[in-house]
Amino acid sequence: MKRSHQETSVEEAHSIGKKLEDDNNMDEFLSALGYKVRSSDMADVAQKLEQLEVVLSNDDVLDSNALNDTVHYNPSDLSSWAETMLSELNYYPPSLDLDPTRMCNLTPFSDDNECSSTTSDNSSKRIRLGPWCDSSESTRPVVMLGVDSQETGVRLVQALVACAEAVQQENLILADALVKRVGSPAASQAGAMGKVATYFAEALARRIYRIRPSSPAVDPSFEEILQMHFYESCPYLKFAHFTANQAILEAVATARGVHVIDLGINQGMQWPALMQALALRPGGSPSFRLTGVGGPSEGDGIQQLGWKLAQLAQAIGVEFEFKGLTVERLTDLEPEMFETRPESETLVVNSIFELHPVLAKPGSIEKLLATVKEVKPSVVTVVEQEANHNGVVFLERFNEALHYYSSLFDSLEDGVIIPSQDRVMSEVYLGRQILNVVAAEGTDRIERHETLDQWRKRMGSAGFDPVSLGSDAFKQASLLLALSGGGDGYRVEENDGSLMLAWQTKPLIAASAWKVSDVTAEWRR
Amino acid sequence: MKRSASNSVTNGDASNKKMKKTTEEDSEIGFANLDENLLYEVLKHVDARTLATSSCVSKIWHRTAQDERLWELICTRHWANIGCSPHQLRFVVLALGGFKQLHSLYLWPLSSPNQHGRLGKDELKLSLSLLSIRYYEKMNFTKRLP
Repeated sequence: MKRSHQETSVEEAHSIGKKLEDDNNMDEFLSALGYKVRSSDMADVAQKLEQLEVVLSNDDVLDSNALNDTVHYNPSDLSSWAETMLSELNYYPPSLDLDPTRMCNLTPFSDDNECSSTTSDNSSKRIRLGPWCDSSESTRPVVMLGVDSQETGVRLVQALVACAEAVQQENLILADALVKRVGSPAASQAGAMGKVATYFAEALARRIYRIRPSSPAVDPSFEEILQMHFYESCPYLKFAHFTANQAILEAVATARGVHVIDLGINQGMQWPALMQALALRPGGSPSFRLTGVGGPSEGDGIQQLGWKLAQLAQAIGVEFEFKGLTVERLTDLEPEMFETRPESETLVVNSIFELHPVLAKPGSIEKLLATVKEVKPSVVTVVEQEANHNGVVFLERFNEALHYYSSLFDSLEDGVIIPSQDRVMSEVYLGRQILNVVAAEGTDRIERHETLDQWRKRMGSAGFDPVSLGSDAFKQASLLLALSGGGDGYRVEENDGSLMLAWQTKPLIAASAWKVSDVTAEWRR
Repeated sequence: MKRSASNSVTNGDASNKKMKKTTEEDSEIGFANLDENLLYEVLKHVDARTLATSSCVSKIWHRTAQDERLWELICTRHWANIGCSPHQLRFVVLALGGFKQLHSLYLWPLSSPNQHGRLGKDELKLSLSLLSIRYYEKMNFTKRLP
């Protein structure tokens, strides 16, 4: 696969190369970008550029006005440009010699057109990326491998972004070259940054070589195991469940019968807590019916789950009924399948991270939401990732995802050198998501996360109104986070009636509740 | 640790003092020989920390201090009422693992450093939820998949 791909693109490279053949052995790749550097000078230029980076990252230099007065020579002649920059900034190379063979950090500048302001771009790029790189290093004890981790961390990010840019421009030869250079720095980077970089590098490689499917096929039971570990190791799923349950309890406060439709039953971890809360309701417990929707891979497991929940219900004295629905995809669901009993039951629809995969096929989400609306639920609880990983432009998706998963991985870091199984499995779980966001396309790409604002628009046009999550939900979420590890990195944020779970001020998960719009307001739309 | 002979049944503060006895001294000091029922009555008035350490004293003390009813008192004494009847609460909590477990696993970590801190409705509800999840996770399910 790789060979044939390379064959066709090598032709392209040759045609570009032929144009510059007479330019004294100019490096092909850089020529394609507009820089003229002799292949023989490459190591020297690389070293100078590294030194330049170090000098520019020094705060003193930035504060001074030296840069404003600098005369910029033609930057396409990289060798002399770097030379003049260094002498202008009165830089003297340190006695410690930077290894010139370590060429992996040579990355093209972001924009050819902005060559003259490249220096400020470079430093502003550094500052922009700084905050979240900082967060991965500052509060956690990091294993130092003799190199300044933050320095290499930033370079790693730049290398990844450069590769993504190449992919965006469909310059796959360059992308291939760049992704190969990211591999070992990523592996040697300590902490969350290294893991994230490794996954993103793998994802990019898969995309470049068009390896399908986007992530290695695994047994569905393994997927379940991964999710269980993720459930245990960090508060995201628990936050999702508890907040949704709180909204459900408020909606069914006076109901004598409750029917919950769970669009993704998985391990049923959400329901013991709800049943316990129903059991302790003043005045006695209502009857509880659960319809769990699952995929064909879960098969018999759903019935077993039902039995387990039934046992629990019996132990705590809750009248319980369970039904499992197996469908290929959520759009196969029809209202009749739920066998609703509106005269005796209050209906709830629950979706924890189940809506975004439906976006893979156009028109599907509208159909699903129409089906949900038709069964007339009293409340629809929705929890989704708070990120836009569904943009049309690949590079934008890539950058968003890089930022998002860096935060997520950072929150998993507990500073322990030998990680627990929970943590390792959680990283694999998230890694598979990364692979899907970056490497997959079309119906294969199911991790199409969208932000709360985007979901608000979708729910609104589907005929739903938002329901405010009360202060009880906020308090409970805060307590839950206090119990989880991570110090005070976790925060609950209120957002117009919905709740978000944030790590170091970056919102990662959003929980919201909805009700069917008023009929009288309907025709006014 | 102070050794003090206290023959009278006093309030919680007095029984905070731990008694460490060897078998030879048993006959001398009356407190260690306290009838189980009387011991139970005394322990009804102690705080959580005392009750927990009491169970380390001797086999008899251990047996008595493990009593769910005592831990139920500990749990419900300082808590805000969550609205359900005590009977309801008892039934559910005992089914899900008991008050002692509820306290040691969830209420204790959630309580404020102040020893006599009140635990609010929210702490209690969260603890109950977590207890139920733990029970569910540990359920020995008879029909196992190969």
